Amino acid sequence: MAKLEDLLDTTIGRRVLLLANEAIARGVLEAGVRLVALYPGTPSSEIGNSLFKMAPHIPNFYFEFSTNEKVALEVAGAAAIAGVRAMMVCKGPGLNVAADPFFSLAYVGVRAGLVIVVADDPGMWSSQNENDSRYYALMGNMPMVEPADPAEAKSLLLAAYDLSEELELPVLFRTTTRVNHSRAGVELGPIRDRPDKVEFVKEPFRFVPVPAVARTRHPWLLKQMEQAREISESSSLNFCIGREECEVGIITSGVSYNYVLEAIQELDLEAEVFKIGITNPLPRDSIVDFLRRHKRIIVVEELEPYLERQVRAFAQHQDVAVNIYGKEDGLFPRVYEYSTQTVVDALTKILGRPAPIDLTSIQEKEKRLPDLPPRPPLLCPGCPHRATYYAIRVVTRGKAVYPSDIGCYTLSIAPPLETADILFDMGSSVTTACGIAQVTGQDVVATIGDSTFFASGLPGLVNAVYNQHPIALVVLDNRTTAMTGHQPHPGTGVTGMHQKVNPIDIEKVCRGLGVEWVRTVRPFESLAKLVADVREMLEWVRENKAPAVLVSREPCALLTAAERRRSGESPPPYYVDPEVCTACGRCLNRFACPAMYLDTETGKAVIDETLCNFCGVCVSVCPHGAIKRRE
Amino acid sequence: MTDTSNTRTENIVISGVGGQGVLTLAEIMARTALQEGRNVRVGEIHGMAQRGGHVVCTVRIGAEAYGPIVDHGTAQLIIGFEPIETLREIHLLHPDGFVILNSHVQHPVAVSMGKAEYPPDDVIRESIRMFTTRFVEFDALELARQAGSSRSMNMVMFGASVGTGLVPVSASIAENVVAESFPERFREVNVRAFRTGLKTIRSLMR
Repeated sequence: MAKLEDLLDTTIGRRVLLLANEAIARGVLEAGVRLVALYPGTPSSEIGNSLFKMAPHIPNFYFEFSTNEKVALEVAGAAAIAGVRAMMVCKGPGLNVAADPFFSLAYVGVRAGLVIVVADDPGMWSSQNENDSRYYALMGNMPMVEPADPAEAKSLLLAAYDLSEELELPVLFRTTTRVNHSRAGVELGPIRDRPDKVEFVKEPFRFVPVPAVARTRHPWLLKQMEQAREISESSSLNFCIGREECEVGIITSGVSYNYVLEAIQELDLEAEVFKIGITNPLPRDSIVDFLRRHKRIIVVEELEPYLERQVRAFAQHQDVAVNIYGKEDGLFPRVYEYSTQTVVDALTKILGRPAPIDLTSIQEKEKRLPDLPPRPPLLCPGCPHRATYYAIRVVTRGKAVYPSDIGCYTLSIAPPLETADILFDMGSSVTTACGIAQVTGQDVVATIGDSTFFASGLPGLVNAVYNQHPIALVVLDNRTTAMTGHQPHPGTGVTGMHQKVNPIDIEKVCRGLGVEWVRTVRPFESLAKLVADVREMLEWVRENKAPAVLVSREPCALLTAAERRRSGESPPPYYVDPEVCTACGRCLNRFACPAMYLDTETGKAVIDETLCNFCGVCVSVCPHGAIKRRE
Repeated sequence: MTDTSNTRTENIVISGVGGQGVLTLAEIMARTALQEGRNVRVGEIHGMAQRGGHVVCTVRIGAEAYGPIVDHGTAQLIIGFEPIETLREIHLLHPDGFVILNSHVQHPVAVSMGKAEYPPDDVIRESIRMFTTRFVEFDALELARQAGSSRSMNMVMFGASVGTGLVPVSASIAENVVAESFPERFREVNVRAFRTGLKTIRSLMR
């Protein structure tokens, strides 16, 4: 992580190594953004983490981790309407959550710059889909800007604010994982002042889109977008490099631009490249000129044929006879992320050139490699979720249905816990449980994290209570938003501005919503009690045909480990006493903590002391009392 | 400051297990390159991929490095934090590439559960040699412990990679960057770990 003093540095022109997400956070300072609201989501998470660190040091700045993305966009959108620069940040699926205000905001527009940063995830490194958010810009009529690397992540952000204010429209700032999570030298620019307070000037016949208002706003929006296209035609964000007089023209945007540059070099290919930074609205006339200059046009973009289809439409509309190659011919993949190799492969195919590197010998050798044991991400050693899922397994013996949710705990999909059966999106554990419970006679035990509970679990729980769905819900309360890098949430008692506030108590919330059986348990205190509570909850649900909630509360293992390192304390380690261990395999096969492994010679378990996080749950899992703690 | 060197792009791959400090090593290496006035790109993966799963980071140094990804057969150096995690990325190695391997095994859960087998030592070594003869190994975890903390293993690996001469940075600048990258009470142990790695590789490559 970049240092705080680098992110706040006022030395103009200094180059610092920044993750693109950190460059965006720095851009917030340089653009004079007054308010940022977001819900964390990878690959965008470090934007919020950086701003969280920076917030107390920036005068006239407000930052919050909002309850969810819809909330965040409404908070930020209103601030921009009031007259200050504002920003909302989310991952691809997060924009789906915020879709409702997204469309309204384009209609009403803004008075000061509003940028919505959305981070798509080609390759699905940490997302449930690789949906292509560029279509939101098209559907919502919102200008869109796409950076290609960390330096552009900042420079194009500044341009996006200018564009937003020139057009009085929000601007969608679309990134992808390989931009967000790449690091490079970024030059620091001057920091812009932010106003303290502004006055909200009323203009209800613009900002309240009742039908009569909305009907006037839609033509206004289309007019603004036509102006946006004119800006796009002459903007330096859309530029060409290479010789105009050559056969091949390549149109590209975002991270793919880098791969195109490297592929051209590798192939020693003469081509003109049109790099598009404003990807909505496209610079139609400039593109048509570009099409006329070349015999072959190759469109390089990850995921959907977003640029390609529009370019084809321009060619048809302007009657340009040119060959356009892209993914609609199957020449480029429509799934996963690209690399230079992807572009090289397609270019050699399209242009009938030999491949610059012969990969067959590498592929031959790869075939002769031994089978490698998989190493998927797992719940960490000492993760409280493992104890809770273990207890759920003990009670239900794998026979219940286990709706899951979005967070670290989705990793319980892996053996031996296998307690994730269905998942759509944030909050769907509660609601899918309702659907399943209504139409099956099976026990349903849903699990949801604390942050997700606040983000989108509440409406589902109201639904479960009011419509009397017989579901058992376990809230895995690890006191943080763990998966995205430990951001605070309404249950933690800390705000984005580092203010200490009263945490919202999940047990009280459930009671307030009318859940009759609610209990909080500490999984590390007693595994036996945890098992008994899960059993009692299930029996209550069966008897009363209504929802019950068990809050399993224990801080994230990574937080306790960090705390331990800070304090410099080193507690006595756990070990397996080989004299007592009978090699029954219960700990390895049912609990499967990654800090334990099998000694293949004795068949007994061993604890790797460098990985153990001292939860001590394995002591209770062992039926023979073989796991002990050193004095 | 722009990178005016017209040497090839150095592609470095760091492969290991979440929690081993792969990302930190990549960042420190890149910061060193930037201090040397080089153009640098780092590719990392966060989130789901961090939780004890396989993690791979790429560092690309050179005026013509644009994207963050290292393709098949193009890595001059693979820094392997764990034997099978090194094999998992070995296809990225250039035919003349170099491999540094930490020989300390971290047992995957599937192996402990008896659902998969960890390949024997000799099979792992032979497999690496199929891709390159330029290959050194040592127990970096043990060296880190000797330096003062098992958590400084990534800095042992950093020292070793700088010692190969394949990372275009000087050892003294690298050491300074290591020192300034850690809070004071972890500084000494990490610098010591860096030096240990540097010394170890130099004696192994002699």
